[in-house]
Amino acid sequence: MSLLEIKDLYVNVEEKEILKGIDLKINKGEVHVIMGPNGSGKSTTANAILNNPAYKKIKGSILFDGADITNLKTDEIARKGIFMSFQLPEEIPGITVSNFLRFAKNKITGKPIKIFEFKNELKKHMEELGIKPEYSERYLNVGFSGGEKKKNEILQLLTLNPKLAILDETDSGLDVDSVNIVSKGIEMFKNKENAILIITHNTKILHALKVDYVHVLVNGKIVKTGTGSLAQEIEETGYKSFK
Amino acid sequence: MKTKLDEINRNVYNIKNKDDYEYKIKKGLTPEIIKEISKQKNDPEWMKEFRLKALETYNKLEMPTWGPDLSMLNMDEIATYVRPKSKMTGNWDDVPEDIKNTFDKLGIPEAEKKSLAGVGAQYDSEVVYHSMKNELISQGVIYTDMETAVREYPDIVKAHFMKCVPLTDHKFVALHGAVWSGGSFVYVPKGIKVEIPLQSYFRLNSPESGQFEHTLIIVDEGASLHFIEGCSAPKYNKVNLHAGCVELYVKDNAYLRYSTIENWSKNMLNLNTKRAIVGKNAKIDWVSGSFGSKISMLYPMSILNGEGARTEYTGISFAGKGQNLDTGFKVIHNNKNTSSLINSKSISKNGGTATYRALVRINEVAKGSKCNVNCESLMLDDISRSDTIPVNDIKTDDVEFSHEAKIGKISDKSIFYLMSRGLSEEDAKGMIVRGFADPISKELPIEYAAEMNNLINLELERKYRIKKGMSK
Amino acid sequence: MILNETPIRTSKNYGINNIDIDDFSIPEIQETFEELNISGDVDEFTIKKEKNKIDLKYGNGEVLLKQIKNYSNVNFHIIVEGKKNKELQLEFDLTNKNQNLVDNILIEARENSNGIIIIKYLSSKNDKCYHNGLIKVLAQKKSNLNIIFVNMLNNKTENFTSIENILENDSKVKYNIIDFGGKNSITNYYTNLKGENSSNEVKTIYLGTSEQTLDLNYIVEVYGKNSIINMDVKGAIKDKSKKHFKGTIDFKKGSKKSKGNENEFCTILSDRAKSISLPMLLCTEEDVEGNHGTASRKT
Repeated sequence: MSLLEIKDLYVNVEEKEILKGIDLKINKGEVHVIMGPNGSGKSTTANAILNNPAYKKIKGSILFDGADITNLKTDEIARKGIFMSFQLPEEIPGITVSNFLRFAKNKITGKPIKIFEFKNELKKHMEELGIKPEYSERYLNVGFSGGEKKKNEILQLLTLNPKLAILDETDSGLDVDSVNIVSKGIEMFKNKENAILIITHNTKILHALKVDYVHVLVNGKIVKTGTGSLAQEIEETGYKSFK
Repeated sequence: MKTKLDEINRNVYNIKNKDDYEYKIKKGLTPEIIKEISKQKNDPEWMKEFRLKALETYNKLEMPTWGPDLSMLNMDEIATYVRPKSKMTGNWDDVPEDIKNTFDKLGIPEAEKKSLAGVGAQYDSEVVYHSMKNELISQGVIYTDMETAVREYPDIVKAHFMKCVPLTDHKFVALHGAVWSGGSFVYVPKGIKVEIPLQSYFRLNSPESGQFEHTLIIVDEGASLHFIEGCSAPKYNKVNLHAGCVELYVKDNAYLRYSTIENWSKNMLNLNTKRAIVGKNAKIDWVSGSFGSKISMLYPMSILNGEGARTEYTGISFAGKGQNLDTGFKVIHNNKNTSSLINSKSISKNGGTATYRALVRINEVAKGSKCNVNCESLMLDDISRSDTIPVNDIKTDDVEFSHEAKIGKISDKSIFYLMSRGLSEEDAKGMIVRGFADPISKELPIEYAAEMNNLINLELERKYRIKKGMSK
Repeated sequence: MILNETPIRTSKNYGINNIDIDDFSIPEIQETFEELNISGDVDEFTIKKEKNKIDLKYGNGEVLLKQIKNYSNVNFHIIVEGKKNKELQLEFDLTNKNQNLVDNILIEARENSNGIIIIKYLSSKNDKCYHNGLIKVLAQKKSNLNIIFVNMLNNKTENFTSIENILENDSKVKYNIIDFGGKNSITNYYTNLKGENSSNEVKTIYLGTSEQTLDLNYIVEVYGKNSIINMDVKGAIKDKSKKHFKGTIDFKKGSKKSKGNENEFCTILSDRAKSISLPMLLCTEEDVEGNHGTASRKT
């Protein structure tokens, strides 16, 4: 049984058809990449998996761990073990990173977490990601730079430890050092029991990661699926040959 | 962080004691009634005359031609003076049991022990408790009820009483002048810094009555003070009226912070007037949270009379079902290099109306002045209403003035972001609303910030309960 | 004469709920007004000289509207058809010979049409004159209209303008208003964004000099979904001039996903010049975005 299975998915955004029949299977232990030019439907795929209400599913289904999650609410999907790292993380004033993550972790695991344990784990992850300790007491993403927000997404990933991590353009707008730290974080997360879906339009972040499958998404359809070497091919020739 | 909505108990505000008073004046407003109040209160002659003059002014002035509809107010149905069965005391143990219980449940004596330098507590028309730490007494700080001040400090009172807010200002100020009772008087001598806040709490228990407390605070040159005002009442079916008056004198180089958490019951008409006169290089900060009342018309005002005088206003109002909260801030720049910083937020939901109504006036003399206004309104559904009505009256060329306002709903993107971390929609919205209110909570002492968060949670809980009920 | 009442009142003491013009009497109006020049792509527009009905939600008060109804000396019904992007210019010159202008102009932009209409008021001689005008725009579906309104009247002339725009689905009306003249220059501007996806943009530049009083009352009501209002008012006041700007964006129920922006910037060039502004946002709909900004600054 696949961890995630998308079957013949059609999605509209504001009445416009964006996804036109996507099929995708992801197994435990695998790293998948969806690549494609701007506007091809990459972010739509991620948002559709988490059932963002702004993205309307017209047809098709999504199974996770064998259960149909097509029409579950976003928080229910998150509690089943899917996490998405946002391209543009929202700023939420009034709650600190630390309090937020503890609250979210309680919600995800469904049981109260010991504060001491939590603080230690958070501290450890922050060190690993090179996030200054005072950031745990700052409001969630408020006033963070682009790179800091992305690192904070990876911190959330490590803390919430989902079964499937969807990384939506996590590498965009990052300098080389940050890309390395983010890649390291992803590497730390990865194990045989979980899976990663990376969404990107360039290949920078892929150099440091072992990729199992690359899917090329053009105009709402997966036009080609290959191994890691496909990413390299795209880096050299672009998407022209797929149109 | 408080996240569980069921932790909060609204009942504390709703403790309804028996309407058990020592004296309640007949309803209505006539010279005879005013004379009787004056007699009951043992006024000096000048105060009696003042009350009668105020009544005349009241009768001459028109009702406001703007703002919320006040037609449900019938002064013939309101008892303007209710004396509780209690004498003013400096010892909680001497306060009658039912009254003391109310204040206990509101956490007043506890707050006094933990975090206050002094407390005043008013029940209906009279102050029942007043106390202050000895070290402040020895420094010459005066904190007492207004009646005592009229008796013991007649010169100071005469020089300041209703001079900052004149009787002719509007109809309800005139009403206040005629029937005022209770309230606090504070005098902080030159150079004395009162580090820990003083708090007065006003509780209206008696139905179909009014509360008209008068607060007069003088912070003398170079002195500083933080004063907190709290108010609440149990809910009755008929209209109650609150028309208090707050007069603040912040002398040269002095500092005053005036914080209010207002949670009147939802049958209350809250027509309160608050004003400060600010001296040279002095500063007043207002922090204001408005949650209760059926109708509020409340526009604290700073008059920046001294050169370099400053003011900040941080306010939030939360209008729910059946509520019309018309609030805002007024500032008059009357001297060179004065500055004002205004930060207002409002939330409307479940059919409530929140209005920000304001005035910024920068007079000819106020060269080199600065004013910055920021105003945000959040609509939580499409049956509510939110209006922004700010007047900016600029009479000099040498000024930096800016005003920004925003109206909108909770961002869907933010809700999605939080839900993707496992939070339910209600949790996500609650978190965002608390974040919206955070700049105000931050300005409050921690216990009061917690109380404000509780009030927000209560309001949200009510909304979602109703919403869930509808979807069934 | 009380004019330009705001849709919502505030304290009387602030002196901005309306403007009271004293020292003013309604003049006699000549039957004809001759200093009128029509130019541009005149043949591309249908121009009928007919009296139009006066049915305004706001406008410049009963007395002045009645004057337009009974005594207008210029009446146009201009029809814009087709996507031709043509331009029509009307120029009125108020002089001693044609001292008083009372004009009633209806502009009807038919479905799928576009066009540019320029309306100019000047007083080439320095005579004391009088102008009371009405411009009504009916923008039908998918029409796109650009109106350039120029007031260059002298500072002795009383100037009253009533504007009302009604926008149907997918229509766009853009105004550029140059508001320089008049002893008292009183503009009542009202737009009803009735249709979905309708859009109104109004950009105004004003200049107050000598003892002029400018009173601008701009009211935009948003009813249609997904509609846009952008109000941008900039100007300078000097000498003893006064400017009152009242801008209202009113999001009515049903105006979901609509956006409104209101910006005002006033440069004060003299110590005796006075600026009052009241930028109102009124809202009974949740899913909208409204912003306003106001600023005054020394140069």
